[in-house]
Amino acid sequence: MLRIMLRHISLLILTLFILSFFSFSLAYLFPGDPLVNLTGIRDSSEQTYALLAQQYAMNDSLFSQYWHYVNNLFSGNWGLSFSSGLPLAEEISRSLAASVELSAYALIISFVIGLPLGFLSGLRHHKFIDYSLLSASVIGYSIPVFWAALIAILLFSVQLGWFPLSGRISLLYDIPYDTGFILIDILLSDVPDKEFAFQDALRHLVLPSVSIAIVTSTIVLRITRRSVVEVMNSEYIQAAYARGLSPRQVFVRHGIKNALIPILPLLVMQFTTLLTNAMIVETIFSWPGIGNGLIQAIYQRDFPAIRAGMLAVSALVLTFTITSDMVIQIFDPARRRPEDATS
Amino acid sequence: MPRLNLYQEEFYPSPIQNTWKEFKENHAAVVSLYCVIFFIFIMIFGPFLAPFDPLQQHIDFLLVPPAWDNNGDISHLFGTDGLGRDMLSRILYGCRMTFGISLLLVVVSMLIGVALGAMAGMSKGFRSSMVNHLLDSIMAIPTLLIAIIIIAIVGTGLVNSMWAISLALIPQFIHQTRDIVRQKMKKEYVLAAQLDGAGKVHIFFNSILPNMAEMLVVQVTLALSVAILDISALGFLNLGAQAPSPELGALLSEGLSTAYVTPWNIALPGAAIFFMMMSINLVGDGLRSALRYRLLR
Amino acid sequence: MNACRQYLSRFISVCLVSGGILGVMGCSPPNTEHQQPNGIIYCSEGNPASFNPQLDTSGTTVDVSSHQIYDRLLDFDLITGEIVPGLASSWSTSADGLTYTFQLRKDIAFHSTAYFTPSRSFDADDVVFSFNRWRDENHPYHDVSGGRYPYINSVGLDDLIGSIERINRYRVEVTLVRPESSFLANLATDFSIILSAEYAKQLQAAGTPELIDTQPIGTGPFKFNSFRQDRFVRFDAHTEYWRERSTTEQLIFDITPSSSLRLAKLMTGECDAMAFPTHSQLDVIRKRKELILDEKPGLNVGFWAFNTSKPPFNNPQVRRALALAIDKNAILEAIYFGSAIPAASIIPPSSWAFQPDSRNTSFNPLEATRLLRENGVEEGFSMTIWAMPVERAYNPNAMKMAELMQRYLRDVGINANIISYEWSTFRARLNQGLHDSVLIGWSADNGDPDNFFRPLLTCAAIDSGTNRARWCSKEYDTLIDKALTYTDQEDRAYFYSKAIELISQEMPLMPIAHAFRYQAYRDDVTGIEINPYGGIQFRNVSKP
Repeated sequence: MLRIMLRHISLLILTLFILSFFSFSLAYLFPGDPLVNLTGIRDSSEQTYALLAQQYAMNDSLFSQYWHYVNNLFSGNWGLSFSSGLPLAEEISRSLAASVELSAYALIISFVIGLPLGFLSGLRHHKFIDYSLLSASVIGYSIPVFWAALIAILLFSVQLGWFPLSGRISLLYDIPYDTGFILIDILLSDVPDKEFAFQDALRHLVLPSVSIAIVTSTIVLRITRRSVVEVMNSEYIQAAYARGLSPRQVFVRHGIKNALIPILPLLVMQFTTLLTNAMIVETIFSWPGIGNGLIQAIYQRDFPAIRAGMLAVSALVLTFTITSDMVIQIFDPARRRPEDATS
Repeated sequence: MPRLNLYQEEFYPSPIQNTWKEFKENHAAVVSLYCVIFFIFIMIFGPFLAPFDPLQQHIDFLLVPPAWDNNGDISHLFGTDGLGRDMLSRILYGCRMTFGISLLLVVVSMLIGVALGAMAGMSKGFRSSMVNHLLDSIMAIPTLLIAIIIIAIVGTGLVNSMWAISLALIPQFIHQTRDIVRQKMKKEYVLAAQLDGAGKVHIFFNSILPNMAEMLVVQVTLALSVAILDISALGFLNLGAQAPSPELGALLSEGLSTAYVTPWNIALPGAAIFFMMMSINLVGDGLRSALRYRLLR
Repeated sequence: MNACRQYLSRFISVCLVSGGILGVMGCSPPNTEHQQPNGIIYCSEGNPASFNPQLDTSGTTVDVSSHQIYDRLLDFDLITGEIVPGLASSWSTSADGLTYTFQLRKDIAFHSTAYFTPSRSFDADDVVFSFNRWRDENHPYHDVSGGRYPYINSVGLDDLIGSIERINRYRVEVTLVRPESSFLANLATDFSIILSAEYAKQLQAAGTPELIDTQPIGTGPFKFNSFRQDRFVRFDAHTEYWRERSTTEQLIFDITPSSSLRLAKLMTGECDAMAFPTHSQLDVIRKRKELILDEKPGLNVGFWAFNTSKPPFNNPQVRRALALAIDKNAILEAIYFGSAIPAASIIPPSSWAFQPDSRNTSFNPLEATRLLRENGVEEGFSMTIWAMPVERAYNPNAMKMAELMQRYLRDVGINANIISYEWSTFRARLNQGLHDSVLIGWSADNGDPDNFFRPLLTCAAIDSGTNRARWCSKEYDTLIDKALTYTDQEDRAYFYSKAIELISQEMPLMPIAHAFRYQAYRDDVTGIEINPYGGIQFRNVSKP
């Protein structure tokens, strides 16, 4: 187990090192003055420029520059955005929280829809309901997520007027920033009509999270179905039947657990797909998340924001996958790789 | 790997014939195969089918609804956009672009990915283990995210987005090939070939490649649907193909500006992407289950 | 077995919780607007460059600041266009037309916000400070935030004023260097706002003078709360406002660059009013029962300006040829959807300086080709058309217009490349004169025709960045200056008709259209009126 942890932690450190080095080199790859790309401070006076150059050790070797850059990263000094002039560390942590919040709710919805339907489909393998669910799932994961979102807006917002189509909450509510998760922030805040604000935020969540969940829940459904089919065909299930248990008992006592365990890691891995889809959907629903921010930054050639946004997103994704892979390997020896199995 | 049933009667179908037999049982998959062939047909003959040039502006026919609408005009079957460009022609050219580019990208990434994967799979030791781990980490990042990051660095544009997507697709092929090659390297027939003194290149092309062709086709269908989604998503986000280009995603984002006046300008290009992805996904699904059944038998 | 139950129960509880959330979403009534806090949300089209309209003539900046945060000494009556008292309750002019005396109102409170608490009410010091900021080059605030005052420089207001004196706490005297009939009208424009001298002093003491333009203080009906780039600008009510105002507690500018998204938000009620509905959207708005569309002829002109400082565009024959190559009527149909009238000159018909008999260029590609070849512009010549990235009443879709013109120019053997940048970059590069030609326009800030002639084409306006043709003609400048020395409309009209003739000979720009102005809002909103002379006003806007 220690070996697994060590292996993963060293891998994590290695990838983060590569990422940070890459993001540092971006300052040189982007057009313009590397120092300006690092700090985001344009048109500074000669004095402040010299001061900044010293802070980032711009006159020293590249290695020393990189070292100072990493130090600045850790002390929360990520530079300023070209377009808004605000500190990026704060901007990005805000938008990252918004993205994670959206993805998390979408993940919950996909589980709520995908898991039960997956079980249903798996248990009725090769029956009518299985086929219809399966074809529905093909439709689901073939729909381009941006198209689904647009159609949802046309139908449910513009035509029927059920749900709002932009932002996290009506701008009339001025919710102070605290954790970055709007629902929690509302509960923590002391705005007068808390319950209405909460309801409003929920209604803003519906369309974006559901349009993301369309794709993910079909994936969850298919993974679950496959696993259930395999488990129900396995020998210990046959044995359980042979012991005279009813199909219901067999499923509850043996089926659910054995079908769920192997797919949980696969399901957790869907988080990254979800995050990508969330990034696209954010731009459609003007959700103030990292995807929206990154794409705006690309349009506006806001190099410091691209650099920091890229670093934040990829670091989040890699940390997430490597950590979850580690946890899974620790708790489920069957999934260990042959080279790890000796430990 | 193939556990052939020796007692199948008289006629001994080859593994590929077997797979095809299974595939044919699946009607949805066969229909989608025809769809895919249809899209390939459009890709090649699109310019001959399109009634107009996709960029030609018909000033007298602005925002005409599709022909089935009461206000529609039969000369513009799918209606026109805000500049009077014929939507049918634009969508035909769009399918050609989106599908053609995706196919090209997938083939290129497959060639590179298989070559690298074969090298990784056939070499042993620390180097391949390092490569493995790094690859696994990269694999976890969705291709679109990688593509967005690459575009953020090199700038927007169709050519840049093509680079970005093919770069993002390569790791999957490396991963897949490496795993299969490793598996096959342990097989007796590879050992036999090695004992006969065959070189690595020879072994790969004569013993391993024929045995992984089917898996490769499945992987290609997967990658193709990912590539279509990515290229159109980048076009939609204005990071890939730019405005006048009839790429389907760009078409969709252009339709946005008149979305509430002319919803069909969103509905139709989106539907084209959807059908393209669905037929490819169904073919891929069909192939995969056909393979699975063949292997189970 | 236990583990199995645990899984199941956990599974069920997750289902229940999420089901509960979905239930809440489903049960909540679709429209809960009456429970929302009291406020107006306006979907605006872009980020303001500043919160001080002295510094920026762009409509985005003006809309967000002029009539919300600030007041002026004088105002325009929205219906009659007459000059009416603002912060100055009355004024008098000396017989020679050189000295103006303004009597100021008393007890007018400046905003009290988290960053500033005023200790005194508005008085003459504030007026002197606000004028001297742009007038006096040695003023400590003159160079803060760039030191360029585009509108004021373009109409020459800074050179016109000889001195400004405080007579007593509530009386100010302004002396001009020459009589000028448009002086009072210029004081009533969106740009002649009054800042707080006390706030400026406080900021200067703190060493952060630039905050005066990003955390503004004024006497207007709304006070600044916060601004987030690409997201929103938030205002609170200024409860001690001196004029009548509605009881609206909050005003929010929801920054939404995409016009289709603005319309969608208006339809769903996420906005109460929207900026710049595009012309293709007008029918949709008219068809929806809950939306109201107001329309008024606008004091504006959309045009195609040639960069006359660059060959071959310095040749009037070439400019004429280019203008002949374009079918204006097709453009009017495709871009304005008929909700504009073709422009024959830069003056719209609602102005008294309008010349009904001025000639419009006809569409004649053959003549255009002949002229081009005669003047050495060969087949395959390539030029740039800069298309502005934002919608304006005078040009609702410059990109699309440029694409149309590209086609017409191809017919006369010219390759046109379309260029566009983000709006502030776009204007910065225009000011450097990097363009060959540009699709842009002008909305009047007051009813005086001088407001078209002077900023658009005089030599002085090249530097202040409103003369996009970079055209400089001594003859034209003399005509425009002369017109201002007369007060009688007929006398002035004579000079303006000469100027119009000169423009149509020289063709520094091709006028395209005078568009109607539109305002779209939801039917429960009252008090929105189109301001023909500039920025939107929310003082009287309210919602039940």
